[in-house]
Amino acid sequence: MYNGAGAAGVDHLSMKTAPRQIVAFGGGGFSMEAGNPLLDDYVLGLTGAERPRVCFLPSASGDADHYIVRFYRAFSAHRCEASHISLFRREQGPEDLRRHLLSQDLIYVGGGSVVSLLGVWRAHGIDTILREAWEAGVILCGLSAGSLCWFAEAVTGFHGAPRRLEGLGLLPFSNCVHYERDSRRRHSYHRFLREGMRGGYAAEDGAALHFSGTELSRVVASRPQARGYRLDVAGQRVVEMRIATTFLGDRGVPPEAPVPEALSTAVAA
Amino acid sequence: MGPPMSSRAVPGAATAVRRILALGGHDFTSRPPDRAVCELLLRLAGERGGERPRICILPTASGDTSEQIGRFYAAFGERCCEPSDLSLFRLGRRPMALRDHLLAQDLIYVGGGSLVNLLAVWEAHDIASILSLAWRQGIVLAGQSAGAMCWFEAGITKSSGRPLGAAGLGMLAGSLCVHYNNEPERRSAYLAAVGDGMPGGYGLDDYAGLLWEGEGAPAAVTARRGARAYRVRSRGDSVTESPLPARFLPAPAPAALREDIAEFRRIKTMRTRAGWLG
Repeated sequence: MYNGAGAAGVDHLSMKTAPRQIVAFGGGGFSMEAGNPLLDDYVLGLTGAERPRVCFLPSASGDADHYIVRFYRAFSAHRCEASHISLFRREQGPEDLRRHLLSQDLIYVGGGSVVSLLGVWRAHGIDTILREAWEAGVILCGLSAGSLCWFAEAVTGFHGAPRRLEGLGLLPFSNCVHYERDSRRRHSYHRFLREGMRGGYAAEDGAALHFSGTELSRVVASRPQARGYRLDVAGQRVVEMRIATTFLGDRGVPPEAPVPEALSTAVAA
Repeated sequence: MGPPMSSRAVPGAATAVRRILALGGHDFTSRPPDRAVCELLLRLAGERGGERPRICILPTASGDTSEQIGRFYAAFGERCCEPSDLSLFRLGRRPMALRDHLLAQDLIYVGGGSLVNLLAVWEAHDIASILSLAWRQGIVLAGQSAGAMCWFEAGITKSSGRPLGAAGLGMLAGSLCVHYNNEPERRSAYLAAVGDGMPGGYGLDDYAGLLWEGEGAPAAVTARRGARAYRVRSRGDSVTESPLPARFLPAPAPAALREDIAEFRRIKTMRTRAGWLG
C-alpha cells in the first residue's frame, strides 16, 4: 500500500464529558417515515444543543444523491447545522474527516448495504473515528444498516437470505432491524442465536433502542405499536422479551425504565 | 461466499486468452472519441460472445450512480449486445447471483470513481476472486479511470481528495496512472511515487488505452489525436517517461447518421440508374 491517508493532524479537540450514546432505529426517521419526524426529533433533542451540528453518513447507499437531498430537507437549517460526508466524492466534502466528525453533536447513519458500508468505512478509517467520536460524547444514530453497524454482531437481510456479520462492536450485543412479526429476518435471527450468536436486541420499524454506554436506557417509538425486544438463548431455546416502549407521540409521558413487559414468546428450537 | 460455481462447461477455459483493456478516461457520450471506445468494447466482447455478446457494467466505484448506469445503457442499449449492470448498493431491491451473473458475461466493464471504495466494496462482497476467475476464463475485463487502475499492483487515486498512491488487485504487473496529462497533479504524484519505489508502469491520457491479450506487452490504442499512452520507469535516480506508438481507433458514424448515409446512397444509386446523375 502506498496509501498515506489517515494521518489526521488533529492533536487536541475539545473533549466532551457527555455520556456515550447510541440510538439504533429498527427502521424509521426521514428515510422511511415521511411526515413523521418523531425519531429524528428525538435524536436531535438528545443533543441538548440549540442548533445541533448533525452530520449524515449515507455510505450504505453508495452516497446516493436523492438520499442526501432528503436528509437536508428533513434536517433543515432553521433547526440544526447539517452536513454530510460522501466517501465516494471526497474531493467535495470536508478534507479532515476526523476533525469534522469529532466536532458534531450527532452523527446520523443512513440505510442500505451494511456489508458495503463497513467495507468503505474501514478503507477510510471511519470505523476508528466513530469509536473515538462515541467515546467523546458525540451521539451516534442510524436506521437499518445504520443501526446494525454499531453492534458486535448483526443480521443483514439486504441481499438474498439473511446472514450474520460482524459490526464495529461498540455495543457488545447482536442486533436485528425491521424485526416484524413473520419476517425472514426474525426467523433467521432466532436460528443464528441457537447456532451460537450472542444475545442482543431487535427493533421493529418505528422503534429505536437508546443506549447509554453499553446499557440499554430506553426504547422509544414513532408509531404506537412499534416495539423493541431483548433476545437471549437458554440452552436451545430463544427467549424473546418485549421491552416497554415509549411512544414519542404521546406528549408528557415520563421516560420508562426498560423493564421487560412480558415473556411474550419463547420460540423453541 | 457466493453460490457454487455453475457447472456449465466453459469452452477452451484452459487455454483462454486473458484480456484486459485499461482506459485512461472516457465517457459514454455520442461524441466521436467516446463512440470509438464503445466500438472497441463491442468488438472485444463480440470476439468472445458472437453476435449478441453480454456486457456488464460494475459501477461500484461511483457508488452505483444512476448517472453512470444510465450513460452505459444509453451507449449500449440500442446496439447488438446484452447490456446489464451489477450494482452492489442496489442489490436490496434487485437481488442477483453475483458469481453466476459475472461468469456469464463476455465483457465486464468497470466504471470510474473512487479506487479505494471500489476495492473495499469488492472485498466485502468477495468480487475480486470472481473477476480473477472470469479473466482466466477469457472474459474480457475493461474499465476506465479507477476501473482501469484496479487491475494493476498500484495506481494514483484521488479517493481521499488529493492524488495518492493506492494498491490495486495486482492482476497486471506494475502500476497505472490515468487522466495522465489531463490532470497534471496526478501525473506529478505518479512520477514522484515511482521515484519513491512504487513499481513502474504506464500513464494513460483520457482516450488512450492499453490492451493486454495473453502474455507479453500490451498494445496501445487511442481514440483522440494527441491522446497517448506512456511507459513510465524508474532508472537509477530518475524516472523516465516514453510515449508508446498507438493504433488510432476511428469513430464510426452515429446510428442516425449511418441511416442518413444509407438513404443517401440508395437515392444516389436510383438516380444513377435513372441517369439523373453523372
